[in-house]
Amino acid sequence: MGTPDPSAFRRAMLDADPRLSRFDPMSRILSFDDFDRGFCGWGQLVGNYEHTLDAMLPGYAQHSQPMLSSIGHWDAGSHGGVDGTYALKIATRPEKGAQNCAIKRLTFRKSGPIRIEAYVAAKPEANELLLSMTDVRSFGIFLDLQSMESAGASAERVMPHLRYLNAENGQLRQTWQTKRHETAFVPIGDTGDTVSHYHLSPEGWEDLADGQDRLCYNELPTKLNWTYLRLDFDLERMVPLHFQCNEKVFSPDAVGSIRMPAMKNLWGMLNFGFLVETDSDKRAFLYVDSVCISAEF
Amino acid sequence: MMRESAHIVVDRNVTWQGEAASEPYEVGWGKEAILFLQVLAPAPHAEPAKVRVQISPDGIHWCDEGTTLDLPSSPGDVSHARVAHFGGWLRLATSMKDGHSARVLVSLHLKA
Repeated sequence: MGTPDPSAFRRAMLDADPRLSRFDPMSRILSFDDFDRGFCGWGQLVGNYEHTLDAMLPGYAQHSQPMLSSIGHWDAGSHGGVDGTYALKIATRPEKGAQNCAIKRLTFRKSGPIRIEAYVAAKPEANELLLSMTDVRSFGIFLDLQSMESAGASAERVMPHLRYLNAENGQLRQTWQTKRHETAFVPIGDTGDTVSHYHLSPEGWEDLADGQDRLCYNELPTKLNWTYLRLDFDLERMVPLHFQCNEKVFSPDAVGSIRMPAMKNLWGMLNFGFLVETDSDKRAFLYVDSVCISAEF
Repeated sequence: MMRESAHIVVDRNVTWQGEAASEPYEVGWGKEAILFLQVLAPAPHAEPAKVRVQISPDGIHWCDEGTTLDLPSSPGDVSHARVAHFGGWLRLATSMKDGHSARVLVSLHLKA
Protein backbone atom coordinates (compact mmCIF):
# COMPACT_ATOMS: atom_id res chain seq x y z
CA MET A 1 0.00 0.00 0.00
CA GLY A 2 1.24 3.47 -0.86
CA THR A 3 1.05 6.53 1.35
CA PRO A 4 -2.40 8.14 1.16
CA ASP A 5 -2.54 11.47 -0.67
CA PRO A 6 -3.08 13.98 2.19
CA SER A 7 -5.29 16.26 0.12
CA ALA A 8 -7.46 13.37 -1.10
CA PHE A 9 -7.71 12.07 2.47
CA ARG A 10 -8.72 15.53 3.70
CA ARG A 11 -11.33 15.90 0.95
CA ALA A 12 -12.71 12.46 1.79
CA MET A 13 -13.10 13.52 5.42
CA LEU A 14 -14.92 16.69 4.36
CA ASP A 15 -17.15 14.70 2.01
CA ALA A 16 -18.04 12.31 4.83
CA ASP A 17 -19.26 15.20 7.00
CA PRO A 18 -22.71 16.31 5.78
CA ARG A 19 -22.21 19.74 7.35
CA LEU A 20 -19.00 20.45 5.41
CA SER A 21 -19.29 18.43 2.24
CA ARG A 22 -21.28 21.23 0.58
CA PHE A 23 -18.26 23.54 1.00
CA ASP A 24 -14.79 23.67 -0.58
CA PRO A 25 -12.78 25.19 2.27
CA MET A 26 -9.13 26.18 2.11
CA SER A 27 -6.70 24.24 4.29
CA ARG A 28 -7.74 25.79 7.63
CA ILE A 29 -11.38 26.29 8.57
CA LEU A 30 -11.53 29.46 10.67
CA SER A 31 -15.25 29.14 11.39
CA PHE A 32 -18.26 27.08 10.39
CA ASP A 33 -21.56 28.74 11.26
CA ASP A 34 -24.75 26.73 10.82
CA PHE A 35 -27.02 28.80 13.12
CA ASP A 36 -28.41 25.75 14.86
CA ARG A 37 -25.71 26.63 17.42
CA GLY A 38 -26.71 30.24 17.90
CA PHE A 39 -25.60 33.42 16.17
CA CYS A 40 -22.00 32.17 15.74
CA GLY A 41 -20.65 35.72 16.03
CA TRP A 42 -22.87 37.35 13.39
CA GLY A 43 -24.20 40.61 14.80
CA GLN A 44 -25.28 44.10 14.04
CA LEU A 45 -23.18 46.67 12.17
CA VAL A 46 -23.74 49.57 14.50
CA GLY A 47 -22.76 53.03 13.35
CA ASN A 48 -20.12 55.17 15.06
CA TYR A 49 -21.26 57.81 17.55
CA GLU A 50 -20.03 60.17 20.24
CA HIS A 51 -22.03 61.58 23.14
CA THR A 52 -25.40 60.86 21.52
CA LEU A 53 -26.92 58.20 19.28
CA ASP A 54 -28.26 61.08 17.16
CA ALA A 55 -24.70 61.46 15.84
CA MET A 56 -24.98 58.12 14.01
CA LEU A 57 -25.26 58.38 10.22
CA PRO A 58 -28.82 57.58 9.02
CA GLY A 59 -27.61 54.61 7.00
CA TYR A 60 -26.35 52.93 10.17
CA ALA A 61 -29.22 54.11 12.37
CA GLN A 62 -31.59 51.84 10.41
CA HIS A 63 -29.50 48.73 11.09
CA SER A 64 -30.74 46.12 13.56
CA GLN A 65 -29.62 42.78 14.90
CA PRO A 66 -30.07 39.58 12.90
CA MET A 67 -32.41 36.84 14.11
CA LEU A 68 -32.38 33.06 14.30
CA SER A 69 -35.31 32.07 12.12
CA SER A 70 -37.12 28.83 11.32
CA ILE A 71 -38.40 30.79 8.28
CA GLY A 72 -42.06 30.57 9.22
CA HIS A 73 -44.65 31.66 6.68
CA TRP A 74 -48.32 32.46 7.20
CA ASP A 75 -49.45 30.01 4.50
CA ALA A 76 -46.98 27.14 4.75
CA GLY A 77 -45.45 27.18 8.23
CA SER A 78 -41.76 26.72 8.97
CA HIS A 79 -39.49 26.31 5.98
CA GLY A 80 -36.33 25.47 7.92
CA GLY A 81 -32.71 25.87 6.89
CA VAL A 82 -30.45 24.02 4.46
CA ASP A 83 -30.18 21.54 7.28
CA GLY A 84 -31.55 21.81 10.78
CA THR A 85 -34.23 24.25 11.86
CA TYR A 86 -32.58 27.66 12.00
CA ALA A 87 -31.04 30.15 9.59
CA LEU A 88 -29.62 33.60 10.23
CA LYS A 89 -32.19 36.20 9.15
CA ILE A 90 -31.33 39.80 8.25
CA ALA A 91 -34.43 42.01 7.98
CA THR A 92 -34.83 45.56 6.69
CA ARG A 93 -37.45 47.97 7.92
CA PRO A 94 -40.59 48.29 5.77
CA GLU A 95 -39.56 51.41 3.84
CA LYS A 96 -38.43 51.51 0.22
CA GLY A 97 -34.64 51.69 0.11
CA ALA A 98 -34.15 50.46 3.69
CA GLN A 99 -31.04 48.36 4.22
CA ASN A 100 -29.66 46.06 6.85
CA CYS A 101 -26.65 43.81 7.23
CA ALA A 102 -24.97 41.34 9.56
CA ILE A 103 -21.28 41.31 10.32
CA LYS A 104 -18.70 38.94 11.78
CA ARG A 105 -15.50 40.47 13.10
CA LEU A 106 -12.13 38.67 13.17
CA THR A 107 -8.50 39.60 12.65
CA PHE A 108 -5.92 37.61 10.72
CA ARG A 109 -2.57 36.27 11.84
CA LYS A 110 -1.00 35.89 8.42
CA SER A 111 -1.48 37.82 5.20
CA GLY A 112 -2.60 34.97 2.97
CA PRO A 113 -5.63 33.84 0.97
CA ILE A 114 -9.02 33.62 2.67
CA ARG A 115 -12.35 32.25 1.47
CA ILE A 116 -15.94 32.79 2.55
CA GLU A 117 -18.64 30.42 1.31
CA ALA A 118 -22.32 30.63 2.18
CA TYR A 119 -25.79 29.50 1.21
CA VAL A 120 -28.25 32.40 1.08
CA ALA A 121 -31.83 33.17 0.10
CA ALA A 122 -33.43 36.62 -0.29
CA LYS A 123 -37.22 37.05 -0.03
CA PRO A 124 -39.67 39.87 0.66
CA GLU A 125 -42.08 39.84 3.59
CA ALA A 126 -45.07 37.81 2.42
CA ASN A 127 -47.76 40.34 3.33
CA GLU A 128 -49.40 40.44 -0.10
CA LEU A 129 -50.87 37.58 -2.11
CA LEU A 130 -48.63 38.43 -5.06
CA LEU A 131 -45.44 37.08 -6.64
CA SER A 132 -43.53 40.10 -5.25
CA MET A 133 -40.44 39.26 -7.32
CA THR A 134 -39.27 42.88 -7.58
CA ASP A 135 -39.76 43.79 -3.91
CA VAL A 136 -36.21 42.93 -2.82
CA ARG A 137 -33.80 45.46 -4.32
CA SER A 138 -30.56 43.70 -3.56
CA PHE A 139 -28.57 41.36 -1.39
CA GLY A 140 -24.84 40.95 -1.22
CA ILE A 141 -21.60 40.26 0.54
CA PHE A 142 -18.77 42.53 1.61
CA LEU A 143 -15.44 42.34 3.40
CA ASP A 144 -13.79 45.02 5.52
CA LEU A 145 -10.05 44.44 5.70
CA GLN A 146 -6.99 46.31 6.83
CA SER A 147 -3.36 45.34 6.45
CA MET A 148 -1.33 44.46 9.50
CA GLU A 149 1.04 47.09 10.85
CA SER A 150 3.97 45.13 9.39
CA ALA A 151 2.82 46.20 5.91
CA GLY A 152 4.38 49.57 6.65
CA ALA A 153 3.80 52.40 4.20
CA SER A 154 1.79 50.16 1.87
CA ALA A 155 -0.83 49.40 4.55
CA GLU A 156 -4.39 50.15 3.45
CA ARG A 157 -8.00 49.51 4.33
CA VAL A 158 -9.75 47.55 1.59
CA MET A 159 -13.48 46.86 1.36
CA PRO A 160 -14.61 44.50 -1.42
CA HIS A 161 -18.34 44.94 -2.09
CA LEU A 162 -20.64 42.77 -4.18
CA ARG A 163 -24.39 42.91 -4.45
CA TYR A 164 -26.99 41.21 -6.59
CA LEU A 165 -29.23 44.00 -7.86
CA ASN A 166 -32.48 42.09 -8.17
CA ALA A 167 -34.72 45.04 -8.96
CA GLU A 168 -34.63 48.82 -9.03
CA ASN A 169 -37.76 50.95 -8.83
CA GLY A 170 -39.90 47.95 -9.64
CA GLN A 171 -37.91 46.83 -12.67
CA LEU A 172 -36.01 43.52 -12.63
CA ARG A 173 -32.23 44.01 -13.06
CA GLN A 174 -30.83 40.59 -11.96
CA THR A 175 -27.25 41.84 -12.21
CA TRP A 176 -24.23 41.55 -9.94
CA GLN A 177 -22.69 44.89 -9.03
CA THR A 178 -19.57 46.08 -7.26
CA LYS A 179 -18.30 49.28 -5.70
CA ARG A 180 -14.95 51.00 -6.03
CA HIS A 181 -15.43 54.60 -5.00
CA GLU A 182 -14.87 55.70 -1.44
CA THR A 183 -17.82 57.20 0.37
CA ALA A 184 -16.99 60.50 2.01
CA PHE A 185 -15.91 60.28 5.63
CA VAL A 186 -17.59 62.67 8.03
CA PRO A 187 -16.43 63.57 11.53
CA ILE A 188 -18.58 62.21 14.37
CA GLY A 189 -18.83 64.17 17.60
CA ASP A 190 -16.33 66.78 18.74
CA THR A 191 -13.29 64.94 20.09
CA GLY A 192 -11.62 64.35 16.73
CA ASP A 193 -11.34 60.64 17.56
CA THR A 194 -14.22 59.31 15.47
CA VAL A 195 -15.20 59.40 11.80
CA SER A 196 -17.81 57.45 9.85
CA HIS A 197 -18.73 56.62 6.25
CA TYR A 198 -21.75 54.69 5.02
CA HIS A 199 -20.08 52.39 2.51
CA LEU A 200 -23.32 50.48 1.79
CA SER A 201 -25.06 53.58 0.44
CA PRO A 202 -27.08 53.17 -2.78
CA GLU A 203 -24.64 55.40 -4.67
CA GLY A 204 -21.58 54.25 -6.57
CA TRP A 205 -22.53 50.70 -7.55
CA GLU A 206 -21.50 49.60 -11.03
CA ASP A 207 -22.49 46.51 -13.03
CA LEU A 208 -20.02 43.63 -13.13
CA ALA A 209 -18.84 42.67 -16.59
CA ASP A 210 -20.99 39.67 -17.57
CA GLY A 211 -22.92 40.31 -14.34
CA GLN A 212 -26.35 39.16 -15.56
CA ASP A 213 -27.44 36.18 -13.46
CA ARG A 214 -30.92 34.70 -13.17
CA LEU A 215 -31.36 33.14 -9.74
CA CYS A 216 -34.11 30.90 -8.41
CA TYR A 217 -36.76 33.14 -6.84
CA ASN A 218 -39.52 30.49 -7.07
CA GLU A 219 -43.24 31.14 -7.50
CA LEU A 220 -44.34 32.67 -4.20
CA PRO A 221 -42.70 34.91 -1.61
CA THR A 222 -43.07 31.97 0.78
CA LYS A 223 -41.09 29.47 -1.32
CA LEU A 224 -37.34 29.88 -1.11
CA ASN A 225 -34.32 28.14 -2.56
CA TRP A 226 -30.74 28.41 -1.34
CA THR A 227 -27.99 29.92 -3.50
CA TYR A 228 -24.26 29.22 -3.07
CA LEU A 229 -21.84 32.16 -2.84
CA ARG A 230 -18.04 32.09 -2.66
CA LEU A 231 -15.55 34.94 -2.43
CA ASP A 232 -11.77 34.46 -2.18
CA PHE A 233 -9.39 37.29 -1.32
CA ASP A 234 -5.62 37.54 -0.96
CA LEU A 235 -4.77 39.47 2.21
CA GLU A 236 -1.13 39.87 1.17
CA ARG A 237 -1.68 41.62 -2.16
CA MET A 238 -5.16 42.79 -1.12
CA VAL A 239 -6.77 41.61 -4.35
CA PRO A 240 -9.81 39.39 -5.06
CA LEU A 241 -9.06 35.86 -6.26
CA HIS A 242 -12.45 34.35 -7.04
CA PHE A 243 -16.14 35.21 -6.97
CA GLN A 244 -18.81 32.62 -7.65
CA CYS A 245 -22.59 32.33 -7.45
CA ASN A 246 -23.81 28.77 -7.99
CA GLU A 247 -22.21 27.68 -11.29
CA LYS A 248 -21.29 31.17 -12.45
CA VAL A 249 -17.68 32.22 -11.84
CA PHE A 250 -16.87 35.88 -12.40
CA SER A 251 -13.51 37.34 -13.30
CA PRO A 252 -11.80 38.38 -10.06
CA ASP A 253 -10.64 41.53 -11.85
CA ALA A 254 -14.28 42.59 -12.02
CA VAL A 255 -14.67 42.54 -8.24
CA GLY A 256 -14.17 46.08 -7.00
CA SER A 257 -13.02 47.29 -3.61
CA ILE A 258 -13.26 50.59 -1.83
CA ARG A 259 -9.64 51.39 -0.91
CA MET A 260 -8.28 54.00 1.45
CA PRO A 261 -5.21 54.64 3.61
CA ALA A 262 -4.90 52.49 6.72
CA MET A 263 -6.80 53.78 9.73
CA LYS A 264 -5.29 54.16 13.19
CA ASN A 265 -7.36 51.51 15.00
CA LEU A 266 -8.15 48.75 12.47
CA TRP A 267 -4.85 46.81 12.09
CA GLY A 268 -5.32 43.26 10.81
CA MET A 269 -9.10 43.62 10.59
CA LEU A 270 -10.92 40.72 8.93
CA ASN A 271 -14.64 41.48 8.80
CA PHE A 272 -17.28 39.64 6.78
CA GLY A 273 -20.75 41.02 6.04
CA PHE A 274 -24.01 40.18 4.32
CA LEU A 275 -26.42 42.92 3.24
CA VAL A 276 -30.02 43.21 2.05
CA GLU A 277 -32.07 46.12 0.71
CA THR A 278 -35.78 46.50 -0.03
CA ASP A 279 -37.23 48.11 -3.15
CA SER A 280 -40.75 48.43 -1.71
CA ASP A 281 -42.47 49.51 1.47
CA LYS A 282 -42.22 46.01 2.89
CA ARG A 283 -39.41 44.26 4.72
CA ALA A 284 -36.76 42.41 2.72
CA PHE A 285 -35.14 39.36 4.31
CA LEU A 286 -31.81 37.70 3.65
CA TYR A 287 -31.53 34.20 5.13
CA VAL A 288 -28.10 32.60 5.55
CA ASP A 289 -27.52 28.91 6.32
CA SER A 290 -24.65 28.19 6.56
CA VAL A 291 -21.25 29.99 6.34
CA CYS A 292 -17.76 28.52 6.10
CA ILE A 293 -14.76 30.83 6.43
CA SER A 294 -11.36 29.32 5.66
CA ALA A 295 -7.80 30.38 4.98
CA GLU A 296 -4.66 29.08 3.30
CA PHE A 297 -2.55 29.65 6.41
CA MET B 1 -25.63 21.36 26.97
CA MET B 2 -25.26 25.02 27.89
CA ARG B 3 -28.47 26.99 27.35
CA GLU B 4 -28.52 29.45 24.45
CA SER B 5 -29.15 33.05 25.38
CA ALA B 6 -28.99 36.37 23.58
CA HIS B 7 -29.25 40.07 24.25
CA ILE B 8 -31.06 41.66 21.32
CA VAL B 9 -31.40 45.39 20.70
CA VAL B 10 -34.64 45.38 18.74
CA ASP B 11 -35.04 49.14 18.24
CA ARG B 12 -32.47 51.81 19.05
CA ASN B 13 -33.19 55.54 19.17
CA VAL B 14 -36.55 55.09 17.41
CA THR B 15 -39.35 57.63 17.86
CA TRP B 16 -42.71 56.28 18.99
CA GLN B 17 -45.81 58.32 18.18
CA GLY B 18 -49.39 57.44 17.30
CA GLU B 19 -49.84 53.68 16.87
CA ALA B 20 -46.29 52.50 17.48
CA ALA B 21 -44.65 49.09 17.67
CA SER B 22 -41.16 47.68 17.82
CA GLU B 23 -39.86 45.76 14.83
CA PRO B 24 -40.97 42.09 14.78
CA TYR B 25 -38.42 39.72 16.28
CA GLU B 26 -38.26 35.93 15.88
CA VAL B 27 -38.00 34.19 19.23
CA GLY B 28 -39.05 30.62 18.43
CA TRP B 29 -35.82 29.17 19.83
CA GLY B 30 -36.36 30.82 23.22
CA LYS B 31 -38.34 29.62 26.20
CA GLU B 32 -38.33 32.78 28.28
CA ALA B 33 -37.82 36.46 27.58
CA ILE B 34 -37.52 39.78 29.33
CA LEU B 35 -38.43 42.82 27.26
CA PHE B 36 -36.81 46.05 28.41
CA LEU B 37 -38.08 49.47 27.43
CA GLN B 38 -35.89 52.50 27.96
CA VAL B 39 -36.71 56.11 27.12
CA LEU B 40 -33.79 58.02 25.61
CA ALA B 41 -35.44 61.40 25.11
CA PRO B 42 -38.11 63.13 27.17
CA ALA B 43 -41.58 61.72 26.77
CA PRO B 44 -43.86 64.78 27.09
CA HIS B 45 -47.01 63.00 28.13
CA ALA B 46 -49.25 63.85 31.05
CA GLU B 47 -49.99 60.29 32.03
CA PRO B 48 -47.94 57.11 31.60
CA ALA B 49 -48.59 55.25 28.35
CA LYS B 50 -49.35 51.55 28.55
CA VAL B 51 -47.24 49.33 26.34
CA ARG B 52 -48.52 45.89 25.35
CA VAL B 53 -46.52 42.73 24.71
CA GLN B 54 -47.74 41.18 21.46
CA ILE B 55 -47.35 37.75 19.88
CA SER B 56 -47.94 36.64 16.31
CA PRO B 57 -48.53 33.52 14.22
CA ASP B 58 -46.45 34.83 11.32
CA GLY B 59 -44.73 38.15 12.09
CA ILE B 60 -47.43 39.96 10.10
CA HIS B 61 -50.61 39.66 12.18
CA TRP B 62 -50.42 40.52 15.91
CA CYS B 63 -52.47 40.07 19.05
CA ASP B 64 -51.98 41.14 22.67
CA GLU B 65 -50.23 38.55 24.83
CA GLY B 66 -51.80 40.02 27.96
CA THR B 67 -48.72 41.45 29.65
CA THR B 68 -48.34 45.23 29.82
CA LEU B 69 -45.60 47.58 30.96
CA ASP B 70 -45.36 51.32 31.44
CA LEU B 71 -43.55 53.64 29.09
CA PRO B 72 -41.01 55.26 31.42
CA SER B 73 -41.46 58.99 31.75
CA SER B 74 -37.84 60.02 32.33
CA PRO B 75 -34.75 59.48 30.18
CA GLY B 76 -32.68 56.63 31.52
CA ASP B 77 -35.58 54.93 33.31
CA VAL B 78 -36.27 51.35 32.31
CA SER B 79 -39.41 49.24 32.51
CA HIS B 80 -39.62 45.54 31.77
CA ALA B 81 -41.94 42.61 31.16
CA ARG B 82 -41.21 38.92 31.77
CA VAL B 83 -42.91 36.53 29.36
CA ALA B 84 -42.83 32.83 28.53
CA HIS B 85 -44.69 30.47 26.20
CA PHE B 86 -44.81 33.11 23.48
CA GLY B 87 -44.46 31.07 20.27
CA GLY B 88 -42.37 32.39 17.41
CA TRP B 89 -42.60 36.18 17.55
CA LEU B 90 -42.53 39.05 20.04
CA ARG B 91 -42.93 42.81 19.82
CA LEU B 92 -44.05 45.76 21.93
CA ALA B 93 -46.95 47.97 20.84
CA THR B 94 -48.54 51.11 22.21
CA SER B 95 -51.00 53.85 21.34
CA MET B 96 -49.47 57.25 22.01
CA LYS B 97 -51.84 60.14 22.59
CA ASP B 98 -51.98 62.93 20.03
CA GLY B 99 -48.95 65.15 20.34
CA HIS B 100 -47.07 62.68 22.50
CA SER B 101 -43.89 60.94 21.45
CA ALA B 102 -40.88 59.23 22.97
CA ARG B 103 -37.47 58.17 21.71
CA VAL B 104 -36.98 54.58 22.86
CA LEU B 105 -34.52 51.73 23.15
CA VAL B 106 -36.22 48.31 23.07
CA SER B 107 -34.13 45.31 24.06
CA LEU B 108 -34.87 41.68 24.58
CA HIS B 109 -33.10 39.10 26.71
CA LEU B 110 -33.94 35.68 25.36
CA LYS B 111 -33.03 32.31 26.85
CA ALA B 112 -33.61 28.82 25.50
